Amino acid sequence: MKKKRFSTRFWVILIALVLAASAAAAVLLHVFASGTVANVYLNGECIRSIDLSTVTEDYTFTVEGDACTNVVEVAPGKIRVQSADCPDQVCVNTGWITDSSTPIVCLPNKLVIRIESDAGSSSVDVVAK
Amino acid sequence: MVKRITALLCAACCLLPLAACGQSETASSTQEIFAMDTIMDITAYGDSAETAVAASVQRINALDALLSTNNTASEIYAVNQAGGTPVTVSSDTLTLVQDALTLCARTGGALDISIYPVLTAWGFTTSSYQIPDAATIENLLQYVDYSKVLVDSAASTITLSPGMEIDLGAVAKGYTGDQVMAVMAGSGVTSAVISLGGNVQVLGTKPDGSNWNVGVTDPENPDSYFGVLSVHDTAVVTSGGYERYFVGDDGVTYWHILDPDTGYPARAGLISTTIVCSSGVTADALSTAMFVKGLDGAEEYWRENGGFEAVFVTDDDQIYITSGLKDSFSLSSGYESRSVQVIEP
Repeated sequence: MKKKRFSTRFWVILIALVLAASAAAAVLLHVFASGTVANVYLNGECIRSIDLSTVTEDYTFTVEGDACTNVVEVAPGKIRVQSADCPDQVCVNTGWITDSSTPIVCLPNKLVIRIESDAGSSSVDVVAK
Repeated sequence: MVKRITALLCAACCLLPLAACGQSETASSTQEIFAMDTIMDITAYGDSAETAVAASVQRINALDALLSTNNTASEIYAVNQAGGTPVTVSSDTLTLVQDALTLCARTGGALDISIYPVLTAWGFTTSSYQIPDAATIENLLQYVDYSKVLVDSAASTITLSPGMEIDLGAVAKGYTGDQVMAVMAGSGVTSAVISLGGNVQVLGTKPDGSNWNVGVTDPENPDSYFGVLSVHDTAVVTSGGYERYFVGDDGVTYWHILDPDTGYPARAGLISTTIVCSSGVTADALSTAMFVKGLDGAEEYWRENGGFEAVFVTDDDQIYITSGLKDSFSLSSGYESRSVQVIEP
């Protein structure tokens, strides 16, 4: 009888390991996806994506749009427009956001900052305001 | 044996991506656009979602071009600049102005689309806010009278008296919502949700057959919502003092919802009104008109006219709902301790 290079048991264990690893990866991916990711859109285009759950120190960056300039501040778990030279200052007055219930919007500059994947707060589909 | 096991392994690998997804999802399409001086989110579900969303965006942009007050190429701009002569308009503009005038009349002028000259004096149209002096307001109020807007439907013309200006800000998004719902349905979509700057309109139910959950913004803390409405096939439109306002040098908050009788911000005791109604244009108009009327006036209007449901928040933080919302309204987490009073017919 021809000798098998690997036993059936070997293959069964290998497949089981691969499946277990993939299951673990799926769980991990899900956990990471439900962190708090802030996406920054200018003119409807995503220009920056920040995982707020991995931020350890405050920092700022500047968004130059067609109409004005927004200074965005990032902190652990939250994000805001710190200052802007737009006329109405609605974006600045919105303050810090930590979940997906309300995005930061600067209409003059067509800037939107939205927290998109947040495990806790998406019990509604849309908010009337 | 090796071959068979290799095949099995390959099959297992092919299945992995499916396992990672967990469940099959209905096709959907979402687009975010800037129009009508606000931000709009359009989402549709189903096989024709993508074409329906594209057609919706096209429809919105076309209406924006017709109805904008500050776009010098719009029909409304032309009507406002005509100095008393008739202006020929498209059927959209004609229909919307007619609908708006009907609602102005039905609400006894609590909604008045000709308030625009006063709104401009306050700076709400430009964000250069100021408190006009009483004489200025008094003088401008002579031009505020929706009944002097003349619509000739046979000739498709609109005529204003000299000095008058109209603004469809209180109805345009509602009308646009209705039009988008029609575009969606016409494209074969049976499940869609749109937010036109916070004016919500839903078509059908969610793809899984359950109702849409629509949050109602907390007027005291506009980043969160105090209640949730479980609804289908309806518009949900909220008006509140928090949407556009400024704090004057006198420390007083002035908001953009003006009382057409006085020319000053409407302070009838409500800080937020939410209207639930199948017609977007009616919901939009009534959310403003009921804010102007105040709780007593709004209750009376609801009892006499019906055709809609409402959620009111008073300036002493009381929440009122009309009886038709008893089963669809719930307080959101963190607001469970607030009491909700039901307005019975």
